[in-house]
This record gives sequence, C-alpha cells and structure tokens, in this order.
Amino acid sequence: MINILISGILRGGMYVLIALGLALVYGVMGIPNFAHGEYYLIGAYAAYFALTLFGVSPVIAIIFAALIGFVFGAVIEKITFAPLRKRNTGDWVTNAFMIGAGIQLIIQNLAQYLFTANYFGVTQLWEGSIKLGSINISYDRLVAFAIAMCTLAAFWLFLKKTRTGISILAVADDEVGAMLMGVDIKRIHTLTYAMGSMLAALAGGALISITPAYPTMGTAPNLAAWFTVILVGVGNLSAVAVGGFMVGLIEVFATYFFGAAWQNVVSLIVIIMILLFKPNGLFGRKQKV
Amino acid sequence: MKDNKIYETLSKPLSKIGLSPISLAAFAAMALFPLVSPNEYYTKLGLTCMLWGTLAMGFDFSVGYINVANWGYAGLMGLGAYLSALLNKYFGISPWIGILIGGVVVAVLGLLIALLTMKMDAMFAALLAWFVGIVLQNIIAAVPNITRGAMGLNVRSLFATPKTAPYYYTMFVICILTFCVLKLVVNSKFGLSFRALGQDIEAAKAIGISPLKYRTINFVISCFVAGIVGGFYGHYVGVLSPNVLGTKNVVQILVIAYIGGRGSIWGSLLCAFILMPIFEMMNSLAEIKYIIYGALLIVSMIYFPGGLCKIPEKIKSFKAEKNK
Repeated sequence: MINILISGILRGGMYVLIALGLALVYGVMGIPNFAHGEYYLIGAYAAYFALTLFGVSPVIAIIFAALIGFVFGAVIEKITFAPLRKRNTGDWVTNAFMIGAGIQLIIQNLAQYLFTANYFGVTQLWEGSIKLGSINISYDRLVAFAIAMCTLAAFWLFLKKTRTGISILAVADDEVGAMLMGVDIKRIHTLTYAMGSMLAALAGGALISITPAYPTMGTAPNLAAWFTVILVGVGNLSAVAVGGFMVGLIEVFATYFFGAAWQNVVSLIVIIMILLFKPNGLFGRKQKV
Repeated sequence: MKDNKIYETLSKPLSKIGLSPISLAAFAAMALFPLVSPNEYYTKLGLTCMLWGTLAMGFDFSVGYINVANWGYAGLMGLGAYLSALLNKYFGISPWIGILIGGVVVAVLGLLIALLTMKMDAMFAALLAWFVGIVLQNIIAAVPNITRGAMGLNVRSLFATPKTAPYYYTMFVICILTFCVLKLVVNSKFGLSFRALGQDIEAAKAIGISPLKYRTINFVISCFVAGIVGGFYGHYVGVLSPNVLGTKNVVQILVIAYIGGRGSIWGSLLCAFILMPIFEMMNSLAEIKYIIYGALLIVSMIYFPGGLCKIPEKIKSFKAEKNK
C-alpha cells in the first residue's frame, strides 16, 4: 500500500510540473495547448543526445533539455500563435486548439522521421537507490522529484516576486488592463508559452532514465496534464499542485487494481464524475457559459 | 441573364431536398464515375474520397457551425465500425442493420458527451470527446479475446463480389443522404441557431437560444454520421485495428474540413476529392505526409481561415468591385 502511495506521489510531482505549464498557457493566452506533451518529448530527446553525444553530466543535460524546450516554445509561439492572434477570425480557443493539434502532428512525425520509432533511453543517471519501508526507490526517481519540487518553488517565486512574473499574472487576470498599465503583451505571451514548454521539457529530461524517448511519448503526459487541469478547474494555478499529485495517485491505484490497460478508463470515469457534479473542477472558480 | 433564370427555377425545388443545381451536377458526375473509371484502383480512390469527405462533412457540421471540434471523431467512427463488425461476428446480425445500430449507439454516446459538456466552453466537449476516443481505443486493445486487439479484426464484407462498384454506390448513397440532410438542417431554423451559437454564444443566449439544446442536437447528428460511415468503413476495408480510432485520423478529417472551409458542408466534400488523391500519392512518404498535413493545417488556419469555400465569395466581391 505504502508502495503505491510513494510511486503515486513521485509520479504526481512530474504531472504538477507538466500541468502547471499547460494551466499557465491557458490562463494567460487562452490557448488549450494540445501540443503540450510534445515539449516533454523534445526535452527527453534533448537530454538523451546531450548525455550520449556530448557526454555531459546529468545535471547539465537536464538544464540543456529545459533550455531547448524554452527555445522551441518561443520560436513556435512566434511562428504560429502570434500571427494567428493578429489575424484571428472566429473563436480563438477552438482555433488555437487546432493549431496545437497541427504542431503536435508535425513534432511527433518529425521525431519519428529523424530518429525512427526506436526507444532512446539511458539506464540510469545517478547510481544507487534507497530503501524506504519495504521498497527500493532509485535515486533517479528521487532526484527527478526533487528537481520538480525545486523548479516549482523557483517558478512560484518568479511569478509572485519578480516584475515579469507579476506581469504574467496580470495578463492572465485582465489582458486589456495589463496592456493599459504598460505591459508588453506580445513579449509576455511569447515568454509564457516558452516557459510552459520549458517546464514540460524539463520533466521530459529529468525522466529520461525512466521513460525513454520515442515519438508518441508525449500523448500520456498530455492526457495526464489535461486530466489535472480539468480536475482542479481551468485557470486555477495554485490548485494544479494538488491536482497533479491526485492524478498521479489515481493512475497508480488504477494500474495496481485494474491493470495498465484500464488506467485511462478509470481516469475517464473520474472526469465524467467531475463534469457531472463539479463542472468547475474541485477548486475551480465559477465558469462562464 | 437568361442563364440565371434557368438556374433559379431549377434551384427552387432542389433546395427543398438540400441540393442546388451545382451540387446536383457534382453528384451526378460522382454517380457516373465508376462507369468511366479506367480500373478498380480509381474507383477505390473515388470511394476513399467520398468516405473521408462524408466524415469531414459531419465534422464540419459541428466545428463550422457551433464551433465544437469533435476531437474523438475517429474514436466514434471506430466504435461504429467495431460494433457493426462484432454484432455480425457474434450474433450474426446483418451488416446493414449492424451499421444502423452502430450509428445509433454512437449517437447515444455523443448525446451523453454533449449533455455533460455543452453547457460549458466548447473546449470541454473537444477534450471529453478526445478522452472518450482514447479510452475506446484502450478498451478495444485491452480485450483481445473479443476484439482481437492489435492483431486486427477480420470483418465480413458487405457484398460477395470483390468488385468495388457496389461499395462505391453504397458509399455514394450514404454520402448524398448525409449531404442533403446536413444541408437541410443547416438551412432550417436550427441552422440559424447553430450559427448564432457559433458566432457569439452570449448574444445567442440573450435572445433565447439554449446552447445545451442546440449544440446537443448538432453534436448528436454529427456523431451519428461518424457511426454510420465507420460501420461502412469496417465492412468495406475488411480489417479493423485499434489504430483506426487514433488521433491521426481525426487530424486527417480536420485537415480536409478546414481546408475545405468551415461552415459550408460542400467545401469539405469538394476538398476531400482534391486532397485525398494527393495524400494517397504521398502514402509512401509515411511520416512526411503527416508533417505536410500539420503544416497545411497551420498555414490554412492562420492565413486562409475561410478555406476553399470562400473562393466564390471572393470572386464575387472582386467582380463587384470591378463593376463599380
């Protein structure tokens, strides 16, 4: 039992990281970023190649993954969402969703084209494991979890304490108001998207020894991140931290009791329950429409 | 001006069944195609165009009018296909009835999705449909002793002959019926409500259009189309695997519907006949094909949001400008 609890929490920590980027991008820019899982993929490939080709230390590889995620996010935002925003007709959310789908398709298939469908993984980043109760937890998992928590803390401080972070939150609250106060909206948009991508890429890089890189690896975290966001309520950043752990636990429990194939079925049932009884999410604000 | 009169006298009775002289001519050409097609390959290609075109029409019916991207469209289509195939395999139900049952079951599933999400942002319907699609795919893969999972389910074909022509005409009937029904609905009072909801949901609510009711009606019709076409697909292709339900197929439908133009119905069908042969030619390119899909989707979303169906309008406004 404790076994499941621990692995659920370890898994949940990563989901918090990924889902936070998704929630942030949706909250600030109104983009339901369907390609979010693909930045996780980019991070994993980046970390793998940094480790194997350049032989750098794991810490640098993970930082490299995050950087690559940031750059990709910024470039992709500039060439897709920014022009769409300028020329958009009709419903922004639906259109942005479709663009995300296009990006997802391109990145997934580009990865398959460039690197084939093989698995690229390393066996371990840090040697050793510790015994906790009855189970062994490898250092890799612990370090990944620690990285996730440190990043979250740093990110939180950045959002609450720095000028740029406060601008991001202001844009999320009221775009026009923020613009009138002299916030450069375009810059904030690009930065937000890039940061969201960076968080996902960081998770992908940190987990490279646990989940190897392959072309469709982005689907599962994408699903989990959306699950988290719906669970806690769209647009509620602080609750994502709780939601990620809940999703991690739900998934691990479901896998344990019903088998891996039924894990998504359990998740779906939970989502249906949420939509039925608490459509604003567990901690959501009141939703329009 | 005389031509215009003939056109108008013709279009009045035709519009009662949702057609126009142009679309009638197009369907007549489609009906004659197997007679002139040089070999089976081209007939099959024509059928493929119609099949994806019909799916794209159903998809467009949701996304183009009420702005709900049915992200589980391939999943729903695959459910229709598997249902009909399994009913035939285990209960010996004739494929024709099976296809209808598949359509109805998929429509009911669509109703459940719609009832849960249509009160909220359109995004939730898209996401829930996506989840449902993935879960359906997982379930089918998880019970291999019933569905044979990834090994592929052999489906009894609809006709005894190996020829394509009977299939072609079956698909033709499904296609033309879908077209007429969707057009009729769109041109009716419902269509106006759909458009109003798609354009400005708050304003539509203010004049008394219930988003839940009209979006649900729309969504269910769209799902029914997916189920029927899916059922036919299974009995036509003969082998089903869980991959049919994958997101890749949704994107294929989406690309056709978007490049054809949102909110026109005919744009999607026309576009299928233009794009599917090109995609078919690119089949050997594997991944590159999907990269091109994605790029096409993004470029058309950003720079040509109207798609193909806006071209006549553009020509008209260009001419009007010239005449001034």
